[in-house]
Amino acid sequence: MLINNKIIISCGIISSLVSHPIFAEANPIVPVNKLTAFTNAELIIAPGKRLSNATLLVENNRIKAIIEEDGIPAAALKVDLSGYTIYPGFIDPFTDYAIEFEYPKLGLKRPVYDIKRIGGNAENGAIHAEKEWFNYVYPNKERAKDWINNGFTSVQSSKLDGIFRGTGVSLSLADKNANEVIYRARSQPFMAFDKGTSEQDYPESLMGSIALIRQTFADANWYNQNKSKPVNSSTSPQMEFNIAFERLDNLAEKQIVFETKNLNDLLRAANLLKEHKQPANLLASGQEYARLNELKALNYPLILPLNYPQAPDVGTDDADREVSLAELRHWERAPTNPAAVANAGIPFAFTQFGIKTDAFWPRLRQAIAQGLSEDKALAALTTQAAEMAGTADFTGKLAPGYMADFVITKGNIFKDGQIYSVWLQGQEQRLRSLSQAKMLGDYQLTLNNLTLDLSLKETGKAGKTTFEGNLSSGEKTIPLTHLTLEDDGRVSFNADLSEAGIQGISRFILWLAKDGIQGRMVDAQSRSNNVAGVAVAPTATQPSTPKADKTQALVSQLTYPNVAYGLTDAPNVEKLHIKNATLWTSDKQGILENADLLMANGRIEKIGQQLTTPSGYQVLDATGKHVTAGIVDEHSHIAINGGTNEGTDAVTAEVRIGDVINPEDVSIYRALAGGVTSAQLLHGSANPIGGQSQLIKMKWGESAEQLKFANAPASIKFALGENVKQSNWGEKFVQRFPQTRMGVKALFEETFDAALAYENALKDYDDLRSSEKKKTLAPRPSYRLQAVAEVLKQQRDVHIHSYVQSEILMFLRLAEAYRFKVQTFTHVLEGYKVASELAAHGAGASTFADWWAYKFEVYDAIPQNACLMQKQGVLTSINSDDYEMQRRLNQEAAKSMMYCGMSKEDAWNMVTINPAKQLRVDEYVGSLTPGKMADIVLWNAEPLSIYAKVTHTWVEGKRYFDREEDQLAQQQVVTERAALIQKILSSDDNAKTGEKVTPLNEPQWHCDTHYQAWGQHHQGAK
Amino acid sequence: MKHLPTSLLLSTLTITLSAQAHNLVPAPKQTQSVLIKNATVHTVIQGVLTNTDVLIENGKISALGPQLSTNTTESTQVVDASGKHLYPGLIALDTSLGLVEIEMVRPTVDNAEVGDVNPQISAASAYNPDSELLPTIRYNGITHAQIVPSGNGLAGQSVVVDLDAWTIEDALQPSEGQFHFYWPQIKRMPEDEKEKAKAIEKNQQAIDKLIIAFEDGYRYFLSQNAQDTDNSPNLRWQAMLPLYQGKATLFAHVDSVNQIEQVIALTKKYQFKLVIVGGYDAWRLASSLREVNASVIYPHTLSLPKRKDEPVDLPFKIPSLLANAGIPYALGFSSDWNSRNLPYAAGYSAAYGVTPEQALKSVTLDAAKLLGISDLGAIAVGYQGSVVLSDGDILDPMSSKIESIWIEGRQIDLNNRHQQLYQKYLKR
Repeated sequence: MLINNKIIISCGIISSLVSHPIFAEANPIVPVNKLTAFTNAELIIAPGKRLSNATLLVENNRIKAIIEEDGIPAAALKVDLSGYTIYPGFIDPFTDYAIEFEYPKLGLKRPVYDIKRIGGNAENGAIHAEKEWFNYVYPNKERAKDWINNGFTSVQSSKLDGIFRGTGVSLSLADKNANEVIYRARSQPFMAFDKGTSEQDYPESLMGSIALIRQTFADANWYNQNKSKPVNSSTSPQMEFNIAFERLDNLAEKQIVFETKNLNDLLRAANLLKEHKQPANLLASGQEYARLNELKALNYPLILPLNYPQAPDVGTDDADREVSLAELRHWERAPTNPAAVANAGIPFAFTQFGIKTDAFWPRLRQAIAQGLSEDKALAALTTQAAEMAGTADFTGKLAPGYMADFVITKGNIFKDGQIYSVWLQGQEQRLRSLSQAKMLGDYQLTLNNLTLDLSLKETGKAGKTTFEGNLSSGEKTIPLTHLTLEDDGRVSFNADLSEAGIQGISRFILWLAKDGIQGRMVDAQSRSNNVAGVAVAPTATQPSTPKADKTQALVSQLTYPNVAYGLTDAPNVEKLHIKNATLWTSDKQGILENADLLMANGRIEKIGQQLTTPSGYQVLDATGKHVTAGIVDEHSHIAINGGTNEGTDAVTAEVRIGDVINPEDVSIYRALAGGVTSAQLLHGSANPIGGQSQLIKMKWGESAEQLKFANAPASIKFALGENVKQSNWGEKFVQRFPQTRMGVKALFEETFDAALAYENALKDYDDLRSSEKKKTLAPRPSYRLQAVAEVLKQQRDVHIHSYVQSEILMFLRLAEAYRFKVQTFTHVLEGYKVASELAAHGAGASTFADWWAYKFEVYDAIPQNACLMQKQGVLTSINSDDYEMQRRLNQEAAKSMMYCGMSKEDAWNMVTINPAKQLRVDEYVGSLTPGKMADIVLWNAEPLSIYAKVTHTWVEGKRYFDREEDQLAQQQVVTERAALIQKILSSDDNAKTGEKVTPLNEPQWHCDTHYQAWGQHHQGAK
Repeated sequence: MKHLPTSLLLSTLTITLSAQAHNLVPAPKQTQSVLIKNATVHTVIQGVLTNTDVLIENGKISALGPQLSTNTTESTQVVDASGKHLYPGLIALDTSLGLVEIEMVRPTVDNAEVGDVNPQISAASAYNPDSELLPTIRYNGITHAQIVPSGNGLAGQSVVVDLDAWTIEDALQPSEGQFHFYWPQIKRMPEDEKEKAKAIEKNQQAIDKLIIAFEDGYRYFLSQNAQDTDNSPNLRWQAMLPLYQGKATLFAHVDSVNQIEQVIALTKKYQFKLVIVGGYDAWRLASSLREVNASVIYPHTLSLPKRKDEPVDLPFKIPSLLANAGIPYALGFSSDWNSRNLPYAAGYSAAYGVTPEQALKSVTLDAAKLLGISDLGAIAVGYQGSVVLSDGDILDPMSSKIESIWIEGRQIDLNNRHQQLYQKYLKR
């Protein structure tokens, strides 16, 4: 039985004369009742729910019924789909389809501190929360094909630009006008960390974006709680109108669609949203397999792209040396990601975002080959996606009342099936003609006395099919030209049959008949000859199946973090008896020879001579070796993503390094190899009041959150001198206040006063009776001033970057005037000039051993600085502020012995207990005192010697570095790389193609690194 | 536990009380013989000799051995070095000393010219012997330095100086020409694909331009040989003649395998004498380097691994990998103020695989050799009387206590800006 396509098409033609309100927000218009019964197909009505030989009854743009037995209404036009399968239409929850809008380019010259305020917009150029994207929907037939060709029938769309991107719209991909295609006018708010085309400098860093999000959530909350208060204008100021904040009302009832670009950002977004108890669906990056447990605990549904990377270039050894193991691994693992996410029980939908659309199905089939179940895959394309698009009550299933959005395939779409047509709101978009398909195959033709074999095949891809064929006579094969297959069953072609004995070009017209094909051939003399043919093989095509990868075992390891030297298993807390060592206690016991140490439960239990080994303890004979507390680095910028400076505004106290910890940074492992167990990660020194710092433990392999030093006091980076007054930033940067050390002081005073005023305003409001509160504007929340106020209340320690004596003394006196203690001056290279003043104030000093002369303010720096300060009673430490030097802080401490005769004990204290005190964590770390955390280092020689090497490093009793294991790991890296390189070299092109991946190429951070985290992605200001 | 001396105050105070480096007076030419007695002498070429005397006369080491006292005259300065160590003065390679005073203050920066073909320029024209940095470098046992222009492509010629002099002419150590060639690098690969392709293309253009420059230099050399008068004199190519004549060395600043191989190919073409500066991957290319008799200045000992997957300690181990591969090398410390940490780079190489003797040799004799200076870098008769006396191992800051330094027999002032500020603020 043939399918008459013309009839099917006609039932899809809908004119717009009358409208029925069907949904609150959309008005599909259906003038004439059209009833169609799709019979005999395999119906996949929902994931895991399959009906054979049931009938799908469609009325106009809706599914009317699924009929399992008899009962097809007589009025229904029947379409026989024997041998075909019908799936619910697929839904892509993350697109920018049909949004016709561009933000105006202002072309401002950097630096840009403020943007134009227009129409009640937000004060930051990356906040577009006021936008409702349904306003800009203009269906685009051509672009819609990108989705339709893969079986998608509807999408969720938003302009993908900025941090608060506005409210998305869910819409059908049908070729109808905007009013008809909109399924849900206000679906979900869209967000991202990337500020996009905003020309405003703030935020230039990832932590800045996070701070802006936090502040905007608070602002919106405040705005919407206060906007309708009947405020007494004589006591309260008029509240500004802010449409962005207004549109962010009731966020808790929405599911934010949040775009992320890598795994760290995904986890960051999840943590940030969790902090605000904010429901959301997160656009993932394809690397989720590397941190599944953490993701599962955060419990956010994901939108998975199928962005498998292109094989890294390993064509020569020169090329492969520049490729990291992490990149090689990801090439192999990416296709396993959907299965891994599914197996972890994390709900997810798929998106075509980020890939070429014709790669979508081959990629998805690779994922299936790697173990993703078909039901989960279908759910990700339908029901899960519908949930995210806010259309689950009428799309995503074949069910009565649902939209007539469905896909007809031949074969299993998750294996090798092909899409024949896609129905959108009851309207067909044909990708392959079912009738044409019927014609394909092999026939034996009889032409006069001649027997010819005709073969007709399909080539090309969905939506762009072409046909080819040939005639053969015995051994000879003759290609067909002008081959045309018509929907009504007519095949026409030309062929040169000279070799078969018929001269000239012969022209054929054949019609599909009951058991074969028949028609005529017109020869070179224009004589007509009858042709009859019988089918000799199944008429369906046999598309080549993609090579299944599942036969190939994975050769890559999966480690924590998933980079070279990552750990396959988390280390255990050891019960250990270290014997016969020299213990550098860093406490009043000094250096103890031939001594023992016991550790258990992550703590140092006991030290002393000839201790007995408690049962269950391992013994480590450390004869000739030295044991110290782990080194503590007061000043570091390792393990940070997205910039260490928010160097835009002069005060950015709201940004938090703790938001941007990068647990994948190999610097953590390298620090362990240098005996460092704790480091304070500081904001840079691009502004007088920088961001909040984060003390971390070098717990290599743990998550960003787990790396944070529990119970460490809050702290913040302040800075003075050349960097903050932009002395070395170039000619353009001469307008931000302050540009002198005099101005720096004024800025601090101004900010401190503002913070005090803020505190007072909060308190005043808090003291009001609740009835008064209803009539009084609450103070607008400010995370910026809150952090500064915490400093003034001694609840947040200041670590202040400083060089010359004038500025050190200035800040000491300023702090005294505002009645807070400066915890630590960092760098403080002229500290020796004001050592007694530092000591009198009680400020610590954390300095370099011997750095000088790299800029003018360090021309008076001397390597005897530490000695002079220490001599005056200043609590002194040596820090690194450098990725490399961090690994050699032991020798940096030794330089004070060489330059100014410091004792061994004092020198060693400068990298252990002294920085621990400066960070106010000396109750936990910094010395080998029983009860403290077992952050311990074993050295093969005196730790201050140039010849000393770390053999083991424990953090909280866990051995995170072991030099022997490191040797094995080095070999393992070489072996694994070689195996992956061979796998790439021996793979077919199919496995090698993919998205070009440029690894995040962040520089090493320094105090004065100016980095535009978003600069690479936008064409805004220069 | 070893007892350590507490301070250097006494020895420095007795020498000078002057206030600034340019007030530190260069020591006059040696007139008085110096006899250093009973030292542990790190000769570099004959091993470590204990209880040995060293006699320095007329700027040269004239005798070495136990009990040299019989040779002394009344005017001889006798130094009791019992229990102390005597080393040859260290040589700091690939520095910008005297060219850069304060890196971020542009008027004080004189080490990098614009343009990529500047073989005619020389560090000698800009070297400041009164730089405040120099006395701080000497203080750690460094007596000589190579002063190197940096930049792009052919960046100019370096010179070798001693670090205690009135003028560049005083300071200059005779040596053959040293041409510095910086292989064009992409400083930071852009993430954006288009930008990346642009950067790669631009870099390739820079490389092509330099390849042509070498060819032009060679054409000039050929025409000079042929006494072809059609080619008018050209300062650039004229300056480069010694390179083609085999009378100068090409110092090629390259790190990766393919860059080193390309430089080797260039060297073969023109028969250059070659020193690789950087040479991070050089240990992988022993046989190719041997073919062109190249040696390596390795300045990355105290650096991070260049690639994420490399062993955490690879930069520390590379000196031993070079030594094991039989590649002649010396350590460098490419910097200005920070090059005073050269001794500790050598110490690190000893902690990671080379012998202490080899570590010392890599900052003394091997450095002198690849500069083509034959009387520096060892304590042996006929060598310059440039020696360092220390109470402790000068490669280990935990024990190093340098007490006296002689350059060509002249005992130099160990005071410096840091000591002066230290002394001043000890009084506060």
